[in-house]
Amino acid sequence: MWKYSKELMDHFMNPRNAGHMENPDGHSEVGSPQCGDAMTLDIQVDDNDIITDVKFQTFGCAGAIASASALTEMSIGKGLAEARKIRNSEVAAYLGGMPPEKYHCSVMGHDAMTEAIDDFESRRDSVENAFRKVLRKPPAEIAQALVGRTVEPLHFHPVRIKVKVTPDAGGALAELISTEVSAEAGWDVKVILT
Amino acid sequence: MIYLDNNATTLMAPEVLDEMMPFLRGDYGNPSSFHTFGSSVMEQIETARQRIASLLGAKPGEIVFNSGGTEGDNNALFSGTSYDSTRPGLVTTAVEHPAVLETARHFERQGKPLEVIGVDHGGNLDLDALRRKTGRTTGLVSVMAANNETGVLMPLPEAAAIAHGAGALFHTDAVQAVGKVPVDLSVLEADMLSLSGHKLHGPKGVGALFVRKGVPFEPLILGGHQEKGARAGTYNVAGIVGLGKAAELAMLHLRNGADRESALLARLEAGILATCPGAEIAGAASPRLPNTSTVLFTTVESEAVLTLLDLQGIYVSSGSACSTGSKDPSYVLSAMAIGAMQANTAIRFSLSRYTTEAEIDRLLEVLPPLVARLRAISPYSR
Repeated sequence: MWKYSKELMDHFMNPRNAGHMENPDGHSEVGSPQCGDAMTLDIQVDDNDIITDVKFQTFGCAGAIASASALTEMSIGKGLAEARKIRNSEVAAYLGGMPPEKYHCSVMGHDAMTEAIDDFESRRDSVENAFRKVLRKPPAEIAQALVGRTVEPLHFHPVRIKVKVTPDAGGALAELISTEVSAEAGWDVKVILT
Repeated sequence: MIYLDNNATTLMAPEVLDEMMPFLRGDYGNPSSFHTFGSSVMEQIETARQRIASLLGAKPGEIVFNSGGTEGDNNALFSGTSYDSTRPGLVTTAVEHPAVLETARHFERQGKPLEVIGVDHGGNLDLDALRRKTGRTTGLVSVMAANNETGVLMPLPEAAAIAHGAGALFHTDAVQAVGKVPVDLSVLEADMLSLSGHKLHGPKGVGALFVRKGVPFEPLILGGHQEKGARAGTYNVAGIVGLGKAAELAMLHLRNGADRESALLARLEAGILATCPGAEIAGAASPRLPNTSTVLFTTVESEAVLTLLDLQGIYVSSGSACSTGSKDPSYVLSAMAIGAMQANTAIRFSLSRYTTEAEIDRLLEVLPPLVARLRAISPYSR
């Protein structure tokens, strides 16, 4: 038996944030085909790029499960850039240390976080591209509504866009743009006018 | 404590310790000494030899005491590839214990040709391949009697016939079989057989190599006349006496207790399959030892299960990558074409004659919720 710390055993016995999300903002699946270990990570991100929720699933030993659990706890409330920088050694330290032989089990968590954030950002880029494309060649109805108005995107997110339209155009325009951007992106995107 | 890791080692029978005690206390004489104090101990060595011989259906003169299974395997492989310079070749199986497999690879690096024969999904030896690969340069064919991980029994009579048909010797690593299933060398045409004391409720650090009368033999350990020069080194008197007693007790068990043990294993397997969805037994349809079951829990990593069982005082083992610090899955399960992920869900339960029904029932009570808990957080469970 490995000499696991009390903290590590606690995370293994009572994993935090285990599970998955129905509609995550970012999702990753990583694994080691060699040893069969695998992990999924779902993240929810707010409009300030802060991770507000994380869910994980892990196929792996106590060390792998505890590392994933610890990582979720450490990343909730952090910005994306900050979450990317969580090192395996910090996870190990958070768990009160890890046997050196088990260190590789914690690597998966870092990979999963990196890929979930990558997924979030690439989906966000897709949404931004979709939005800009729609505005470049807007369908007649939208073009008409935009006559005499300026449109300024304030924030992109994989499932929502905050847009400032001046002068104000009302909810109907938001609906129209949402429909077009969703069709372009391939998933539901909500346009919010401010 | 519930100990279900008897293929790793076993409880030393109390009767065994009782027989050993005098030689750990006052009777410390060297059986090789001329004087009575030492030489009288030789009688006990010979009694042990007879007991082992009768457990195996062998002659006492065919038993060479040594330090255990690993030494027996090393010596058998060394001897079997050294006695005839025109036959340096070794043929063995992909699922042998490392005591055979790694020794074989060591000899291969020294220039002795090696053929490793595979098994099918059930762990059964590919006898056709064995026949094809055993030839005029083969000195020794070595096939284990029972696999340590899965308990799958190998077709020894057929393998021995193939070896002899090609003019080669036949050795079997019977470390996991002796004491669990009948091994009768008056019928089985093996030239050498290794066994280990601590796997059959005897002491650790002692074992024996059976070398059939008339079979050429090259010793590995030199430097003394003990065992007629077949194995030098001062006798491990207490160990040998203990091994002899263990052999005697094993005979009684095989006569009276074997059915009870296989019934307990059946209860364990049925219970797990009924309560753990997706679980399957490795080599389920193959002939197996009556004490061994490797369960593939599917979607749940074995070391995590091991750790949770350990907290409950239930001791089992896995061939899992992680628990050994390595990243590779069990080579035995890989040889059975079981994928890396599935192989890393394998838990081995190995019973002994001391295992009770209450222990199995306790396991069946504790295990399913643990597996369910891990399955709930497994990415493979969706």
